[in-house]
Amino acid sequence: MTWSRFVLANLRRSPLRTLLTGGAIALAVLLVCLLLTMPAGLNVFLDQLANDTRISVVNEAGLVYPMPYAYARKVRALEGVSDVCAMVWFGGAFEDDGRVTFPNFAVEADRVGTVFSDYEIDPRGLADFVKYRDGAIVGRQTMRKYGWKVGDRVTLKSTVWPVDLDARIVAEIPNDRAPIVWVNRIYLDEAMKAAGRGGLGFAGILWVRVTDAKQVNPVMLRIDELTRNSEAETTTQTERSFFSSFFGSLEGFVQILLVVTALVALCIVFIAANTASMAVRERVAEIATLKAMGFPRGVIFASLLAETVLLSSVAGIVGIALASMLTGMLRAAAGWSPQLGPLGGFLVTRGVVAQSVALSLVIGVVAGLAPALGAARRPVAEALREVV
Amino acid sequence: MDRGTAAADETLIRLRHVSRTYQRGVDEVHALEDCSLEVQRGRFVAFMGPSGSGKSTLLNLVSGIDRPTTGEIIVAGQRLDELDEDELARWRARHVGLIFQFFNLVPVLSARENVALPLLLARLSRSERTERAEIALRVVGLAHRADHSPRTLSGGEQQRVAIARAIVTDPDLVVADEPTGDLDARNAELTLGLLRSMKDDFGKTIVMVTHDPRALRFVDQTFHLDKGLLLEGEAARRAHEALELAAGGSVGAGRAPVAAATGGDGRP
Repeated sequence: MTWSRFVLANLRRSPLRTLLTGGAIALAVLLVCLLLTMPAGLNVFLDQLANDTRISVVNEAGLVYPMPYAYARKVRALEGVSDVCAMVWFGGAFEDDGRVTFPNFAVEADRVGTVFSDYEIDPRGLADFVKYRDGAIVGRQTMRKYGWKVGDRVTLKSTVWPVDLDARIVAEIPNDRAPIVWVNRIYLDEAMKAAGRGGLGFAGILWVRVTDAKQVNPVMLRIDELTRNSEAETTTQTERSFFSSFFGSLEGFVQILLVVTALVALCIVFIAANTASMAVRERVAEIATLKAMGFPRGVIFASLLAETVLLSSVAGIVGIALASMLTGMLRAAAGWSPQLGPLGGFLVTRGVVAQSVALSLVIGVVAGLAPALGAARRPVAEALREVV
Repeated sequence: MDRGTAAADETLIRLRHVSRTYQRGVDEVHALEDCSLEVQRGRFVAFMGPSGSGKSTLLNLVSGIDRPTTGEIIVAGQRLDELDEDELARWRARHVGLIFQFFNLVPVLSARENVALPLLLARLSRSERTERAEIALRVVGLAHRADHSPRTLSGGEQQRVAIARAIVTDPDLVVADEPTGDLDARNAELTLGLLRSMKDDFGKTIVMVTHDPRALRFVDQTFHLDKGLLLEGEAARRAHEALELAAGGSVGAGRAPVAAATGGDGRP
């Protein structure tokens, strides 16, 4: 006979009740765990997308407003800047559906190799991108989506400019989650001129690569200082902030879901507390007997509390395991369905596990506290009078 | 009443002017009034009387389950009226074994585990707890039922498991509250005989509350209570004779004769 055997035996007293209560707790922990993975998943997704040493520069008035192309040269000359790549939104639609189904930009072909060196694009492809003005670099996600391969020719019809570009794929961005397509800025510039719309004297966004991470903030200040009081003042942010702003509304949604889930967890606490109270009420005679035999109040309290904490802990582990399985399935699904986007990055991290285990323990303690305290504090003679 | 066994040489239980009053709403209930008695170590005594006479209150006070409103209780050399709830719990765990009318076994544990339950409070290894529980079950003749759940045991067997649980810690005092109240005649006799053997074979002091006139054949001494008062002198003798009559006049057969009515100081 051991304490653990005693606690386990009491939990097995009513298997159906224990199963249902544990199931309710597991479900609550599963919900919370899944929601907690969302911010973590977004972080992972942003980590994959964003680089510590890359800064975006856009017109302070907004992303759709251009800025002078000359800014690229000026910024390139600033201390701490490794290189700059100017981009213009091309807004090209593939084939005749007229919709932009992947982000595509006209970029400075000779700059992407240094500014996006972390993309690990094949150097020969990069060299071809510089060499051939009709070259295009395409993200693997889009390559897979349309079944393209290097060497294929694709025609992109711009929804922004009055030009179509017939481009030849010269390289792939080797990242499963990269949907992006780059065409040569010079190619677009020439096409615009041919269409009578003048050349590209502007840029939509500048991507700035700094020499090291410590230079990020000083360089951002220098760039903003450079463009202050000009016709197009700029705003700078890290690449991570730039992308996370696209998920800002999703994060707000996650916050609302977290509040709702917290309320669900609270309901589960009340249900578990009610169940624990019922269990204690059914065992008044036994508890009175234990106290009469000399079990101190602290021991009675601890053994009753141990039951709810053990149940909620096991249920919590089940909930966490289910969440891990679900996110694992999502990751696997994201491998062949890139549209899942950030969902594929949702991970049950150590932090999420720690928070979920803590939640399980809190549910157990809060649910068991009142019944255990009540049973422990009741005078033994009074309890015995009722049952003997 | 005292059956007058060998001269007792050590007082295990001493009550002096003990009263217990309960508050029931605005009313005060005097469950026990000015009770003084002594019980010698190694005796088998019974508290007898009608319902509401205060015998269970007296048993609770003697076993440290309840505390007196006034008066002094000394058991095994310890002033119980001076201990708080937790100190009393620790004291009970060391010195008292309890037997209840409805056995009060834990249904989800086996007979062996029920017997070993009080040993969880002792500093013993798992194997020592198991060994002691099996010895106690052997003493009550239930070693072969050690793995059985209480649900599969008869009432008499459950009460024997409860007796094993009461003696497993080797307490100074075994208290039994109506131990035959839920048993048929045969099992009641068996249980009383078993309690008697605890006294005879192991020298246990046993204090029992009972209505059962059969108990008179097994106990050394009886204390009669009525309306919260411990009866003395002629009133005690009349109460005892009435019980003997109910028991069929066989009381004391083969045992030492009843000595005298118990005095207020508990001495024969």
